Amino acid sequence: MKMARILFVVVVVVLIGVAVYFGTRGQRGDLVVGGKNFTEQTILGEMAAQLIEDRLDLRVTRKFHLQTNLPIKMIQRGELSLYPDYTGTGYTDILDNTYQGEPPEEIYAHVKRVYPEEFDLEWLKPLGFENAYSLTMRAEQAEELGIEKISDLEEHTDALQAGFDPAFLDRQDGYPGLVEHYGFEFETPPKQLAIGLMYRACKEGEVDVIDAFTTDGRIDKFNLKILEDDKRFFPPYDAAFVVRQDALEKYPELRETLNLLAGRIDTKSMQRLNYAVDEEKRREEDVAREFLVDQGLLSAQGE
Amino acid sequence: MSAFWQGLKSFLQERGGEILNALGEHVYLTMAAMGMAIVLAVPVGLILTRAKRADKVVLGIVGVIQTLPSLALVGLMVPLLGAGPKAAIAALFLYALLPIVRNSYTGVRNIDPAITETARAMGMTSREILFRVELPLSVPIIMAGVRTSTVICVGVATLGGVVGAGGLGELIWIGIDRAEDALIFAGALPAMGLALLLDWVLSVGEWLFTPAGMREDKGSAQAGA
Repeated sequence: MKMARILFVVVVVVLIGVAVYFGTRGQRGDLVVGGKNFTEQTILGEMAAQLIEDRLDLRVTRKFHLQTNLPIKMIQRGELSLYPDYTGTGYTDILDNTYQGEPPEEIYAHVKRVYPEEFDLEWLKPLGFENAYSLTMRAEQAEELGIEKISDLEEHTDALQAGFDPAFLDRQDGYPGLVEHYGFEFETPPKQLAIGLMYRACKEGEVDVIDAFTTDGRIDKFNLKILEDDKRFFPPYDAAFVVRQDALEKYPELRETLNLLAGRIDTKSMQRLNYAVDEEKRREEDVAREFLVDQGLLSAQGE
Repeated sequence: MSAFWQGLKSFLQERGGEILNALGEHVYLTMAAMGMAIVLAVPVGLILTRAKRADKVVLGIVGVIQTLPSLALVGLMVPLLGAGPKAAIAALFLYALLPIVRNSYTGVRNIDPAITETARAMGMTSREILFRVELPLSVPIIMAGVRTSTVICVGVATLGGVVGAGGLGELIWIGIDRAEDALIFAGALPAMGLALLLDWVLSVGEWLFTPAGMREDKGSAQAGA
């Protein structure tokens, strides 16, 4: 009996130890890299984390798979040091502007100027690709119905079922704004789908129109067609890291390290990396590491 | 069939580390919330047995908290505490209160009045009665409340995945986001295992620390106190 009681106390102490260990882990990183809840974000976040760990020898805590609107709030509270974002999102969704057709450089310049003033955050150099919202359909259905651009959908709003992710259904640079800008909406309300489910749902005919992210590798592989945004509703969405100014000050080499990726990732590459994870089921960290090694950016020979 | 085991083996090799990490975080969320809940709820439940009118009110409040959909409760903690483990733990803590408060309260309330009368007749003060008679007799019911709360906690803690709290819930959400069923199981099965494990540990603990004279199992020796 005595033995059993002692053993029990040991088990409880072990559980408490596990709890404490995992509870205080967040405090033990030097930098926190965040990412939203889709594959590309995790891949980019991993690239940043691995570069930092390798070149700056700092400990990085990763917080990936965050709901889309959380990172901007968390980074302002200091819960994140940096995360990857897109200029269009910063311009319209976060800063609340309405896109009026300005060229990408202007949108980037705007957020680059305003973020430090508003948030004490900085946009680093563009990574080299854009990941935009789009309206996308099965290529064969689009051909059948003669739909090439978004305006063409107006004649078919009664016959098509849309499926959008929750953020798109809520944002001004998403469905609500689109409806205002183009002047039509779908007769049957769009279904709400998780980002990762949209592409397959479209391919298999469960829905007809989705808000595909333009760098998703599945657009090509599943034979989907991105509709032309003829009325220039969607802003440019150039990808770049958003970083806290105090992190940049504390670690002077951080800026230069992350900017090593500037201009190195083109759309095709990002699509390929996304596809490797989404359909080939590879791990984000492996895919990210491979890319960095190929680019000669990791000094050591991997871990 | 062997393709299945092969697949399972390689899946575990790749994801094993992630799963263990998530499990550890889950243990943290659950135990932090349960620890605080027990420390608050048991005394409150006991005190309520002495509070003639406040008891109904407090039990009512705690009951209402439980009716809030757990997802909403977790979400509401985010503006207050930021996204992360704290929000999840706060929500879990609130959710764990009712079973424990209620069971502590009814555990004492349902004791045969003859027993408490006898104790009073023997000259025990109200406090002595509480600690030496009522509390020991209520242990089984209180522990039942603790066990219920713990199992609920493990389940609700999966919602932490939505607010950046980590834990097994994160695996489940990734699985949902990416339509990867394997990940959903990778999160759900360990959660079930954890709930069962904690429930078992608590029941063993209860048994070990119940005085021999009070145990109900057959053949309990009539050993001295």
